[in-house]
Amino acid sequence: MKHTVGKYILGFLVLFLVVTLIACSGGSSQTTSPTATSGAAAPAATTAPETAPQSNVRELTIFWAQWDPADYLQELVKDYEAETGIKVNVIQEPWGSFGDVFFAEMAAQGTSYDMVIGDSQWLGQATTQGHYVNLTDFMNSENLTNSVTEATLTYYGEYPPGSGTYWAFPTEGDANGWAYRKDLFENPEEMAAFEEEYGYPLAPPTTMAQLMDIAKFFTRPEQGLYGSAIYTQADYDGLTMGFQNMLFSFGGDWSDANFNPEGVINSPESVAALEFYKELYECCQPPGMSNAFFAEVNDAFISGQAAMGMNYFAFFPALANPQVNPYAESTGYFVNPAGPSGDHFASLGGQGISIISYISPERQQAAREFIRWFGQNDIQAKWAALGGYSANREVLASDEFLAVAPFNAAFAETMQIVKDFYNIPVYGELLRVSQDEMGRYVVGGEGTAQQVLDAIAAKHAEILKDGGFLDQ
Amino acid sequence: MATFEETGPRHPVTESTRVDKVHPRARLAKNVRAIVVIIVAIMLLFPVFVMMMTAFKSRSDVVSIPPKLIFEPTLEGFVFLLTERSQLSGAALEEARANADELGIFGQVALRNGQRITGPSDFTIRLRNSVIIAFGATVASVTLGLFAAYAFSRFDVPGKGDLMFFILSGRMLPAVVVTIPIFLMYRQLGLHDTHAGMILIYTVFNLSLTVWLLKGFIDEIPREYEEAALVDGYSRFQAFYKIVVPQAATGIAATTVFSLIFVWNEYAFALMLTSQKARTAPPAIATMLGRGGIEWSAIAAGTLVFLVPVLVIIFALRKHLLRGVTFGAIRQ
Amino acid sequence: MTSTSATDTAVPPPTTGVQKHRALSDRAIINLFIWPTLIILIAFNVFPLFYSLFLSFTDYSAIAGRPPVWVGFDNFNRVLFSEDMWRAFTITGRYVLFSVALELVLGFALALLIREQFRGSGIVTTLILIPMMLSPVVVGLFWKLIYTPTFGYFNYLIGFRNPTVAPDWLASRFAGQPMPGLALWAVIIVDVWMWTPFIALLIYSGLRAIPDYLYEAAVIDRASSWFQFRRITLPQVMPLMLIAVLFRTIEAFTKSFDLVMGMTGGGPGGQTEVVAVKIYQQAFLGQFQTGRASAFAYMVLIIVIAISNLYIRNLNKMRED
Repeated sequence: MKHTVGKYILGFLVLFLVVTLIACSGGSSQTTSPTATSGAAAPAATTAPETAPQSNVRELTIFWAQWDPADYLQELVKDYEAETGIKVNVIQEPWGSFGDVFFAEMAAQGTSYDMVIGDSQWLGQATTQGHYVNLTDFMNSENLTNSVTEATLTYYGEYPPGSGTYWAFPTEGDANGWAYRKDLFENPEEMAAFEEEYGYPLAPPTTMAQLMDIAKFFTRPEQGLYGSAIYTQADYDGLTMGFQNMLFSFGGDWSDANFNPEGVINSPESVAALEFYKELYECCQPPGMSNAFFAEVNDAFISGQAAMGMNYFAFFPALANPQVNPYAESTGYFVNPAGPSGDHFASLGGQGISIISYISPERQQAAREFIRWFGQNDIQAKWAALGGYSANREVLASDEFLAVAPFNAAFAETMQIVKDFYNIPVYGELLRVSQDEMGRYVVGGEGTAQQVLDAIAAKHAEILKDGGFLDQ
Repeated sequence: MATFEETGPRHPVTESTRVDKVHPRARLAKNVRAIVVIIVAIMLLFPVFVMMMTAFKSRSDVVSIPPKLIFEPTLEGFVFLLTERSQLSGAALEEARANADELGIFGQVALRNGQRITGPSDFTIRLRNSVIIAFGATVASVTLGLFAAYAFSRFDVPGKGDLMFFILSGRMLPAVVVTIPIFLMYRQLGLHDTHAGMILIYTVFNLSLTVWLLKGFIDEIPREYEEAALVDGYSRFQAFYKIVVPQAATGIAATTVFSLIFVWNEYAFALMLTSQKARTAPPAIATMLGRGGIEWSAIAAGTLVFLVPVLVIIFALRKHLLRGVTFGAIRQ
Repeated sequence: MTSTSATDTAVPPPTTGVQKHRALSDRAIINLFIWPTLIILIAFNVFPLFYSLFLSFTDYSAIAGRPPVWVGFDNFNRVLFSEDMWRAFTITGRYVLFSVALELVLGFALALLIREQFRGSGIVTTLILIPMMLSPVVVGLFWKLIYTPTFGYFNYLIGFRNPTVAPDWLASRFAGQPMPGLALWAVIIVDVWMWTPFIALLIYSGLRAIPDYLYEAAVIDRASSWFQFRRITLPQVMPLMLIAVLFRTIEAFTKSFDLVMGMTGGGPGGQTEVVAVKIYQQAFLGQFQTGRASAFAYMVLIIVIAISNLYIRNLNKMRED
């Protein structure tokens, strides 16, 4: 290849261009940051919304993932438009890119969205980087904090944990539960055979040991039937979310209160939980489910391969729909079972609604008005009736709610025992480590549970140290 | 007659005289060969056939064990793909059922799930965006590429070798990484989520391909034609326009097809550089989530709908394509 | 490659007065024809290239909302000394080697088959190109469905009717027992399915460009068909084959992420985690370690340039022979 003067001129040009562009981006971010800080400071200044109801804001946008609940919300907000004349648009982004698109938009301090219904794990990142408006005073004064269950307020709204500072109003509660085939569980022959073999009656499991017994009992490859379908997906968070159901109920955890993972995530309890998960995968997982998340679990259930299936409650409507699930009429639901020492938890999903700090104070105020409207008990009741998973105490306790869908009773109970993964800003790196390591053990069959969790503990400790959560 | 036969070939010449073709049972071999090709084609197309079946299957038929070859076709997938629906309940549902006859075929399919069609889905908008952006970017990159390729082919451009390598270099970095700088740049320039921005970025990424391909083709066109035209009083531009462009038609067609396939299916840029207004279809097809899972039939339907325009263009240009893939690498 | 083509197509300098006038307009035409392309390439292509090089020396995160901080060779050290990365390179190497080799052999066979035209061969040849016209994400997703041992078609087609004693491709299991590497083969099969027709098409166009007289001469010399294949067909097609291999190798390194993500997500247990997937995981998916991902990408770039140069050098050598 020939080297010519042209190349150097080109190189110079490029360098010049790079420098200019960096300079430009630096300069403009400086000019925009004052508005951002003034926006964040706004809530304290404007706490008299009643005096200024007539704002110029005629429409609001909410950013959410692309799925059915977002459609329900779009339906619900028609009422808001009828009442106030403000049109609310729910913008939906596929789950796979929801986080990517949102955080990229936030890094650019974009104003495309007024509100976001963001994942519980995002809280740390979004608040420390200043993307969300602090809603503490607003939610306290409007009585919004008392209207929702404690667990949802903690996991969807509060950061840092235990601080009493709120950044989001719990919108779509969600957690892992289980679906089971009543036609199998209530079949007299099966019941007799099960009691014969295990010495206690066949019923939806309340302990992990029972879950394992039942899963093994119903695993009959020659009939194309398998005991349980669980999450194994390695790419984002599927496997970790599934494993947490066992981890927390077995008495394990990711770290202690000081973010120290050593001796916690690799404690004997945590090891037992991972061994349990692995055993469940080895013994009772339907074939082809090595990269399975909610969609695959539902597919396994619909195709009649799974006697029990772990899933988010948000995806159970499909199983209750006879058009989709041939076993819809005989599908029951139960709460994630308790562990050997009585600990009882379920892995959390779900999202809360937050206001973006980069929009104008006027728009922030309009967004606050909307959240206040959305948080009212009767609106929450309608939200639940449309199919949304309200976090409202009254709604969750109401007979209408418990009766409207076969899984709602289990949902209401589950929402009392939820527990989540890290929600600090480095959660993405922590998640990647746990996904990779556990994927290798559970699905890939490499190493032992102790080795894997030791590795996770060491790598998590390093990330937490780098992130300033753990002393060096 | 007899004398003529003795002087001419004894049999009509139907085969070339190349030795690897000529053997005693040439015709039979040819038929066998054709049959083998067709069998291979069927094998290659089987997954596409599966996709076509899936597009017309109901949710429970998609996951039936063993997989079904015969099933009751339904348009559910297409309804899910192309329409926006709302759930009906109680009296509204009864009323809709009573007036079912007035509904179109899509409306009836939706009603079976207790739904009413409220309008076209986002997918139709994304399809339109795909058409605009793919068309714009393909035309722009082929046009610009044609000009540049002509200049590189015919003139002694200073530093030509380096410039050509520079043009190629843009393709060598994993697209996933390039998206972030471009994303930052687009935010600054206001090109984020605009048709113009998408056309521009696809044009840039296709230019390496179009310049290299088209230069190969133009190199093959003897320059005597233009020289003659110039002597006849044509200007350079006229010579280019009236002589070179028609001669390079094959190459232009092939280049167009390759550019189009790339732009049409591109995923990473579309995901990061668009959100609503200019979002194209590929990021939407793969992530179609419905009631509790992947809507296989809608994904299959989307893929098929999305394949048709490319297929039509490829069929229209197939003669050029088969010749055109030489990439200008062989110049006898 | 670039420099040879630069010299052999140069126009001899104009001499007469009339041509001098035209030479001026020639320069105008050069500028007019080349600069639009160069300007947008410099603006939109060079900037990302250099900016990500800069970022690879920083701790930048695209979502952190703070300026990049220079960390020197930290990111490169991390990549070079991380087992995961080498594992990803090894997996990618295996993936590239096997898929490209299979594509070449099968593509060559297919090209020889479609070399002679028969009625409808144009249509068949076009139809077999359909796989490469599909979006790779969707292809990955669909093959996941096809590979499923229970409701997928693949196992039934290759004769496994009972899911319990059949390969579970994407889980790297056979009849319930672990069988490491199976998932990577499943990915390779899809890659081969998607790209063999493309390579066949390239080789086919090379075959059609071979002048008949070469074979005629061989017939006169009573050369065997193996000799003809080795001495005429193969050398003549070789340049195109190399270009095909070059394209596929570059793409396997830089673009394979959408196919693999759709099918296995890198699993089971990281067995199909090719570099493109690894980079995607670092650059996005909640991590957004833009700096580290850029460093990784630059190492890929260096490898790709090295491989490209190797290919191009061989190509040029072949041309000279």
